[in-house]
Amino acid sequence: MTTLTQDENKAVRLFFYSSIVWLLVGMSIGLILAIKYVWPNFLVWGEFLQKYLSYGRIRPAHTHVVLLGWMSMAYVGGLLYIIPRLTRKSLEHPRLARIIGILWNVYIVLAVIILSMGYTTTIEYAETPWPLDLFLIVLVVGTAYICFKTIAKRNEHQLYVSLWYFMGSLIWLPFLYIIGNLATYFISGVPQALAGWFYGHNVIGLWFTTVGVGFIYYLLPLLSKNPLYSHKLSLIGFWTIATFYVWNGPHHLQNGPIPAWLMKAGVVPSVLLIIPVWTVLANVFGTMKGKWHVISENVSLKFVVTGAIFYLITCLQGPFQSLMQPSAILKFTNWIIGHAHMPLFAAFSFVLFALFYHALPTLTGRKIYSEALMNWHFWLSIIGFLIFAFTTWTAGVMQGFAWTEGKQYGVPFLEVVVSLQPFSIARAVGGLLMFTGQIVFAYNVRKSITEGQPLSVEEKSSSTA
Amino acid sequence: MSGQSKERFMKPFIIGASLLFFIGVAATVVLPFYDEVMQRENANAAIKNYSIDSPEYRGRQVYIREGCHTCHTQFVRPVKADSSLGPVSVPEDYYHDYPHLLGSVRTGSDLTWVGTRWNEQWHRVHLNNPRQVFPGSTMPSYNYLSDQDTEDLIAYLMSLKPAPSTEGR
Repeated sequence: MTTLTQDENKAVRLFFYSSIVWLLVGMSIGLILAIKYVWPNFLVWGEFLQKYLSYGRIRPAHTHVVLLGWMSMAYVGGLLYIIPRLTRKSLEHPRLARIIGILWNVYIVLAVIILSMGYTTTIEYAETPWPLDLFLIVLVVGTAYICFKTIAKRNEHQLYVSLWYFMGSLIWLPFLYIIGNLATYFISGVPQALAGWFYGHNVIGLWFTTVGVGFIYYLLPLLSKNPLYSHKLSLIGFWTIATFYVWNGPHHLQNGPIPAWLMKAGVVPSVLLIIPVWTVLANVFGTMKGKWHVISENVSLKFVVTGAIFYLITCLQGPFQSLMQPSAILKFTNWIIGHAHMPLFAAFSFVLFALFYHALPTLTGRKIYSEALMNWHFWLSIIGFLIFAFTTWTAGVMQGFAWTEGKQYGVPFLEVVVSLQPFSIARAVGGLLMFTGQIVFAYNVRKSITEGQPLSVEEKSSSTA
Repeated sequence: MSGQSKERFMKPFIIGASLLFFIGVAATVVLPFYDEVMQRENANAAIKNYSIDSPEYRGRQVYIREGCHTCHTQFVRPVKADSSLGPVSVPEDYYHDYPHLLGSVRTGSDLTWVGTRWNEQWHRVHLNNPRQVFPGSTMPSYNYLSDQDTEDLIAYLMSLKPAPSTEGR
């Protein structure tokens, strides 16, 4: 089956278009934060804005909108689009999927309002209060139900590697979300912090990474028109990530008030994660054989290969900074901010951009409006990100070493803060470029829907798996 | 797509993924919970077991509401970068912290033992306009807090000090 039903199409597009809106909203909040970081009186115009847009209140709104609005909704759209293709079975309950999408948007709006009012659990990425959490859990379980049912009733009996990743992620997400958002209500102190960081790290590793890798495995053979390089490597990759990733929570409290055995238990699996990341990259390089030149002609391929490379860099940087000695310098500094944006923006948002450019023609029946704008999107995103990353990494090293020289509070600490300024301004410039790239993206998508060149009949049948 | 794929059954993936996940939960969340250092308070924790009608308790709620934990941490590590902050933090210190405020970034300095550094009047001036005390500071101004909230927050910050019985630790 290669064509989507009307209801499937509506569901996928709802998730995709909503996610683009959240991408712009979430990055706007990020930009506001970056500007307040150097100019604390930015938007302090009257008491209302001062209070409801204060840095401490909108920071979790930023993370919520980009993680649960942009990325997660785009991810669900991707799952609803790709699973029918890989299983040759039309999506189960597509109208339910659409309702879930509408309610998911409601969740994000409520979350932003509640967080801005100062209601927070303080657990990172789990700041929303439990009634909202229950609401989201129902939506996630509903999504998992639809996806599993579709896979169970598949017409293509062999399960392609992407489907293993999707199944794993759809089991992991609800459970880790419950641990981070609900279980944390019942414990206090360090155990609560450990449960919170279990969630905080695994939402990245067992949802954003694993679904994203599933997308890479789907897009790469399709865009390169080569078969997947090694099925055996993809098996090893899946089972090693499923085994090792889940142990990584404790490294967020490295050198902190946790038992020594737990610190080591968090680092060893973290280093072993080099195995699964290597299997993915080996498969990327192997699958691309003979087709590297296509990258310069195909923006989707450009995005997905670049995303895969940033995924590799993240998974080399991560284990490095979780070791006790590097952590002693880098923890709590800007370096971590630079690191955090790499998997989420440079790796897996890039994979999403590749997916959107690839899937939208099928969904809309029209070509993307402008290839030039697709390239602008790519270059603004990557150049903006590289500025963001290198300024935050450098600033982080500076902070870390300055603190070891005793500049830990009071006037000496402020010396360090002041010396960060040029880096923080540059980081905001990088963020502005990243954001501009997304405005170009959204504009191009909008124009494609209304003015994109209609696909010819041959193009329609060859653009699907 | 790949002609060599032999995986035809969902069950191994569902069972395997679930099992491996819960092993990780047991090891990194459940087991530490039962570690003896996580199950008892010490003198430092006892003085932070604020009663619900105390200024310190209310002040802690203000700290949470305004998101202070998004820029300030509350744990001291046995490393050079934390050498002047005060006693190294142990799990027992946080026994009564609900929710915990360990934090994850130091845009501002660590506050574990801030009660030993500045007095109430200093905090009043600093919270009202941080740049009056530290030119170049990027901390937001909290002049919009009510007098009650301000005094409560200051009471909380002043309480962040080692218990008297631990002097010399």
